[in-house]
Amino acid sequence: MARDDGDFDRRPDPDALLALSDKESRGKLRVFLGAAPGVGKTYAMLARAQTAKAEGVDIVIGLAETHGRVETLALLAGLETLARRKCDYRGRIIEEFDIDAALARKPQLILVDELAHTNAPDSRHPKRWQDVEELLDAGIDVWTTLNVQHLESLADVVSRVTGVAVRETVPDRVLQNANDVILVDITPEELLQRLKEGKVYVPETARRATQNFFTPRNLTALRELALRRTAERVDDQMVDFLRQGAIEGPWATAERLLVCVGRDANSEAVVRAGARLATALNATWIALYVERAGQEEQSAEVVRHVDQSLRLAERLGAEVARVSGDDLVTETLRFARRENITQIVLGRSRARPFSRLLRHSLTEEILRRSTDIAVHVVVQEDGPPQHKRALRLPTLSQTWLGFGGAALSVTMTVLVGYGLERWLGLVNPSVIFLLPVVLCAARLGMWSAIIAAVLSFFACDFFFFDPRYELTISQPQEFLSLLVALAVAVITGMLASKMRNYAQNMRQRSQAVQSLFEFSRKLSTITTLDDILWASALQIQKAGEASCVMMLIPEEGGLKVSAAWPPVDQMDAGELAAARWALEKSEPAGWRTDTLPNVRFQFRPLATARGVVAVCGIEPKTPEEPLSAAAESTISSLIEQTAIAIDRSMLVGESVKAAALEENEKLRTILLSALSHDLRTPLTSITGAVTSLRELGEKLSLDDRKDLLLSIEEEAGRLSRFIANMLDMSRIESGALSPRSDLVDVADVIRNVLERSKKTFLGKDTSISIAPDLPPIRGDAALLGQVLFNLIDNAHKYGGPTGAIVHARREGGDVVITVTDEGPGVKPADLERIFEKFYRSGRIDGRKAGTGLGLSICRGLVRAMGGTVIAQSPAIRRRGTRIIMRFPAISESKQGVAA
Amino acid sequence: MSDASVLVVDDEPQIQRVLRPSLTASGYEVREAATGREALSALSDHSPDLIILDLGLPDMDGKEVLRRLRILTRTPVIVLSARDRESEKITALDLGADDYVEKPFAMGELLARMRTALRHSQNASLEAECVGADGLVVNIPKRIVTRNGAPAKLTPKEFDLLAFLARHADRPLTHREILKAVWGPAHQNDSQTLRVFIGQLRAKIEDNAAASTIIVTEPGVGYRFMTSES
Repeated sequence: MARDDGDFDRRPDPDALLALSDKESRGKLRVFLGAAPGVGKTYAMLARAQTAKAEGVDIVIGLAETHGRVETLALLAGLETLARRKCDYRGRIIEEFDIDAALARKPQLILVDELAHTNAPDSRHPKRWQDVEELLDAGIDVWTTLNVQHLESLADVVSRVTGVAVRETVPDRVLQNANDVILVDITPEELLQRLKEGKVYVPETARRATQNFFTPRNLTALRELALRRTAERVDDQMVDFLRQGAIEGPWATAERLLVCVGRDANSEAVVRAGARLATALNATWIALYVERAGQEEQSAEVVRHVDQSLRLAERLGAEVARVSGDDLVTETLRFARRENITQIVLGRSRARPFSRLLRHSLTEEILRRSTDIAVHVVVQEDGPPQHKRALRLPTLSQTWLGFGGAALSVTMTVLVGYGLERWLGLVNPSVIFLLPVVLCAARLGMWSAIIAAVLSFFACDFFFFDPRYELTISQPQEFLSLLVALAVAVITGMLASKMRNYAQNMRQRSQAVQSLFEFSRKLSTITTLDDILWASALQIQKAGEASCVMMLIPEEGGLKVSAAWPPVDQMDAGELAAARWALEKSEPAGWRTDTLPNVRFQFRPLATARGVVAVCGIEPKTPEEPLSAAAESTISSLIEQTAIAIDRSMLVGESVKAAALEENEKLRTILLSALSHDLRTPLTSITGAVTSLRELGEKLSLDDRKDLLLSIEEEAGRLSRFIANMLDMSRIESGALSPRSDLVDVADVIRNVLERSKKTFLGKDTSISIAPDLPPIRGDAALLGQVLFNLIDNAHKYGGPTGAIVHARREGGDVVITVTDEGPGVKPADLERIFEKFYRSGRIDGRKAGTGLGLSICRGLVRAMGGTVIAQSPAIRRRGTRIIMRFPAISESKQGVAA
Repeated sequence: MSDASVLVVDDEPQIQRVLRPSLTASGYEVREAATGREALSALSDHSPDLIILDLGLPDMDGKEVLRRLRILTRTPVIVLSARDRESEKITALDLGADDYVEKPFAMGELLARMRTALRHSQNASLEAECVGADGLVVNIPKRIVTRNGAPAKLTPKEFDLLAFLARHADRPLTHREILKAVWGPAHQNDSQTLRVFIGQLRAKIEDNAAASTIIVTEPGVGYRFMTSES
């Protein structure tokens, strides 16, 4: 089946298919979009809801704002409505949408009015659209209403057009990801008519504003926006459809945009413009803020402003980056090149006339230097006046230090000047006054240098120019040279101070990197989970400028605080909820996030390939301000390091477990092959003997027949002993063996065993020698007998023809029983090892019958009776083996007491 | 067979204790060896008619003994093996064993296999033309197969397979041996093909394909063509 290249391109786009499949499991969102309040969105939604209910859909009203309108109220009939949650806010009772009730009820479809609403402060999410997202995640379909002015990217346009500020916004992606957008449209004339008839709800407080809002011009513009946005959506959907069906159509461009966020007030407008451009180009975009290194912004106002702009960018779908550097232009371009940016968007900066002399404005600089990247300069109308970049005034102590330093150095220079004049005849000493200026610049900063320059100016004039000791100048050239010297001094001072800042910044950076490196080295040596968590909590607290850091690990469906620095004793409900959110959704929660922002801590998940393994909670030192870029990046890297270390420690744990399992497996395999051999051999003899007798019958001589029958008996006995051994072993292992604690007469037991062995081991000699008056021992007579029997069996197997010798005597407070044979003996190295299970000198196949359990059972049983057993070799006449068992004897006084 | 000599190589004295009287009573002259080395040295001064070899010897691997045996002599060897060690049996057969007996075994079975092995070694020179089994007559040179008198229709490949089995009647043949001989060395791992062909063959020549009495399966090892004499 031939395929030409045309076929290749026509395969459906996998991304589109994936997006489609992702959508399937999520709830479906239908948005009733309107140009302005009062067009009838809620009415339309409820009307459709009634139809759906008639069709049998499980539908629930989460929240519907009827504003008292009769027609709308009528549509509520017959529909199940959820009770609203009552919240207490500043003494007023507010009713909010109860998301937990909705999740518990889990209907097929839920209606939630007014997507752009802001929730009361104690709600889980600050915004209702976030509640809706959670509902969708849980698989519930949602219908909602939205006015076009509440779309993030259009908010500023609407503000400009209508003159009314838009406060509540919804990110564009919520609308983009909606399954259905239904435009509820009426002509502006109709709407105005309705307004006149009082059919449009308007809160009393906003009456003035709405008069400005509801003008024909505004309404037309809004209607156009709504229509256009809906049309764009249809267009987008078409493209998606094309991609899914692999019909030839325009693909997404590979453009990447960079929007520069600055300190000025119109950065928000720049961000929105960037968002619109990115949407139009179907491009990904990044919002970048470059912080001047070494000069963190002091003004809280500016900090907040920048923060707002960046969050706006994030809501509009950008990736946000913060970078710190010395030169804004260089850093921006470096970032752009690294991220393969194709277009840069920035605002036109109002450069101060003075600085234009010294250097170009940011915009011009970027335009000049970005040779391979397109630059868009966003022009905006005169907005509110720019924040003037405040000159950084030094602190009081700095000033005094600077002044003192300057004065001192100038004085020293005057003296030096005198000296030079006297001894070297220096004519114009003004040049040497550069020295104190540069020194002050390098050591004490720019202001000190400027003070020094001014002082030097006067000192030089006073002390060295005629007329001396007077602040007048006779020679104009001298004055000129002095002025030039002053100018040079100031410039040099500024340059030197810049250098100083740069060096300081470099030092800070290298310190940060160094500490990060050390931390990662330390982590690589720790393997226990607990140690890792403690080490990382400490480090994050230190390096991340946090007032408290805690590390939590998941445990039995909840979270446990595993490490905290400084130590924390309790977490309140809000903190627990935020931590759990971070764990379950793998998203940050808490302070300065979209979820539960009123909590003190910010919880971040530590994610690895196996999911979220831990959660880190950080309490900032200054909650009113966001974390600095440096702290942010430090914390991110530390968290990543910790996640990797945790992953590693888990892997180590798992590999240890796997090794133990493997070891067990090996043992099991050995056991099985040993068993199969040792059980098979006696069975073979038995089967062979029995079938011989049956098949050959008369052909066998009488003696042969008798012998065969005997061998059957013997082998059956051996088989049963093997099985008994194995059972004993397993009982000893599982601890189920509990020997009786009777008084045992050792001599009796030995004699009994002798009888049995004579019967079993025919032809083998067993001799005994028992000392008289052996004290009794505490134990189990049957078990002891079994042990002795096994040992004698061993002795016969391994011993030579001389058979086994059993010896019992008293030694101090113990009774010692030995079993000796005169066989080949055991190597000294093996004297301990023979007590191991299955130990055999030699291969598994090539060995004498016996599972090798005998001696290990012996030891197990002896120990269970409180005794010890060792082996000795050679034993007699430089040959043989002796097994020595030692049991504590019961003293005469205790003999009266029975077990 | 009277006075045929057997060398029994097994290290377990209990087994020797059972085999000796039974084999002697069946008319064999029994010699014993307890290790591989003993077995090999026994061969040097006396050549037995049949060797019974246990694979679990203390000093040498049984397969190693077999290999060395085969260098010295063409005497038929019956191997004593464990039930679930198929790979052992296959290797032994590949190394030149004539048959195998699983432990525990019935004496009757062992004796029967011994008889077959001896018969085949004595008749080794004669190229069997006609092989008969249970109503089936296979005429190898003429390529005719008759079943209870009526000719059976076999495809050429099926006949080749049957002929190979029949030529080595009463001996277990490993999958690999059969595949190599009938299909060629390239197909020696194609046991699925073999299974299919055996199935087809059985359907054509056996009275009851489900309980085949002529082509017997040796589980995990291969197949055996059973003649009526065994």
